[in-house]
Amino acid sequence: MGLPAELTGRLLLLPALVLIGLFVIFPVAWGVYISFTDMTLVGPKAVKYGFVMFKNYLRLLADPDFWNSLRVSFLFTVFSALIGQASLGLALALVLRMEGIKGKTAVALVVFIAWIIPEVVAGFTWGSFAMKWGYLNAMLDPIYRLLGMKYINWLYEKPLETIIIANIWRGTAFSMILFTAALESIPKFLYEAAEVDGASSWQKFRYITFPLLSYAILIDFILITIWTFMVFTMIYVMTGGGPGTATELWTIFVYKRAFTPPYTLGYAAAAANIMFMIVLALIVTYLVMIRRIRW
Amino acid sequence: MVYMPRAFTRLLPVYIFMAVVFVFFAAPLAWLIITAFDPEASAEFHVPKGVTTKWFSELIKPVGGKYAKVYPWMWIVNSLIISTAVATLVTALSVLSAFSLTRYSFRGQSAVLNLFIILRLMPPMVIAVPIVVLFAKLALVNTYHGLILVMSALILPFTLLIADGYFRTIPSVYEEAAMVDGCSRLKAFLKITLPLATPGIVTIWLLAFVTAWGEFLMPLVLIGDPYLYPASIGIYYWFGMYGRIEYGRICAFSIVYSIPSIVVFLITRKYLQRGIAGLVTR
Repeated sequence: MGLPAELTGRLLLLPALVLIGLFVIFPVAWGVYISFTDMTLVGPKAVKYGFVMFKNYLRLLADPDFWNSLRVSFLFTVFSALIGQASLGLALALVLRMEGIKGKTAVALVVFIAWIIPEVVAGFTWGSFAMKWGYLNAMLDPIYRLLGMKYINWLYEKPLETIIIANIWRGTAFSMILFTAALESIPKFLYEAAEVDGASSWQKFRYITFPLLSYAILIDFILITIWTFMVFTMIYVMTGGGPGTATELWTIFVYKRAFTPPYTLGYAAAAANIMFMIVLALIVTYLVMIRRIRW
Repeated sequence: MVYMPRAFTRLLPVYIFMAVVFVFFAAPLAWLIITAFDPEASAEFHVPKGVTTKWFSELIKPVGGKYAKVYPWMWIVNSLIISTAVATLVTALSVLSAFSLTRYSFRGQSAVLNLFIILRLMPPMVIAVPIVVLFAKLALVNTYHGLILVMSALILPFTLLIADGYFRTIPSVYEEAAMVDGCSRLKAFLKITLPLATPGIVTIWLLAFVTAWGEFLMPLVLIGDPYLYPASIGIYYWFGMYGRIEYGRICAFSIVYSIPSIVVFLITRKYLQRGIAGLVTR
């Protein structure tokens, strides 16, 4: 038997904590250190870098491109996640719950597949799909004709709208599944009782479904906000942040500053740390909400 | 009969909504599939003149251009190697940790769980810069062991939380019965709980596998050698290569690359749904 149980328990956790410590927590700490230097990826300052203290952070606050990336990320998150994915996911969950509707499985399946294919495939597919002479415009052709409009070159004329729509396509499945589960946990007898009292469908939604769903809605909002705020791959593959900086999310801002000329690692690390602080605030909110933390 | 028109007018908006949603979600996927079988594959809309499987069979040819000696199937093999290693490492560590968290009690357990929830929700971009600097110093850039370790560290919080939830659902009474008969806690776990938990462990392995399979950022910043690219990075550079984009082969490759993800998620669908349900049903 040898070891006391408490020690054995701790030892079993050790490998996981070592891996996380070396490859996530230590890098995060080192990222803070790098953000106080003028380190670059290549050139003399890759080795002989100096301390600049808060200069990177101060430069960021005066950098219009940084503020632009914040604005793009904010709009992207609000419109694609909070408005798009959440409402479409809820609507789908409500439809999937209805009885006597055909074709529900097929709809749920395509929504699900859009969510699970590798992200780079989703980005490549949408980038091609939304091209000026591509399938998207061919499908919208009747509408263009009706309104007497010219084809919109989505990725160049409406880039932000396009990545928002693409991300609604990508991420709605999560909200749909979450709301489906939440709806299933509402006991059916509540609706039966309301029917006996002569409640309309709207009243049933307003006074039973919605209040009992509010916790699920909050959880959904906060999780999809966090996840959407950190999207990189799909949009980077679709637009590379362009045209110009029109779709440059903060993740793309950081990536470009660090890994394309002039390879300013210190500057990129500072930007990443500011964004991490924002995400961390959201994560703590989440932990409080699921009551893992008690004050 | 009286109810027919009413039911119809009531359900019509629902069916219209479902049709619009279906078309919206299916259309990009339809482009991908149609183009992979189109003899004149391109992103421009046209009615295909026939059906071909040549783009799939031509995946055995080199990528071409500046990758004259690189073959697309190499990228699939690379992804297989990386994802298998990551999934195996991460599953082993998740099971060990879940065993510790669910079968022992010591101070700091809930702090550890909170830490893993935070790391699960942390943007990986935060560590991109320091990881590259660190790996350059340790000569781990362009190596699979380096990539596998950092990807495992990023995926571990996700699988560990699933494992923790899963092992909490397996009662420890059988183990305790075995312990009364003289087994040690560890032996009881290995002989009794682990076999019971096989379906859950397989699910965790599969989920870790497809998460690694789709991973893009870490290989993008750490792997610069086209022979070592996983499929995700291969597609990205293939699509971005100068000259005419080879839509046919890239679409065929994308489909081949997506199949494991789709299959695994369909297998684990019920399990995933239960996991997400656990977030909202208290």
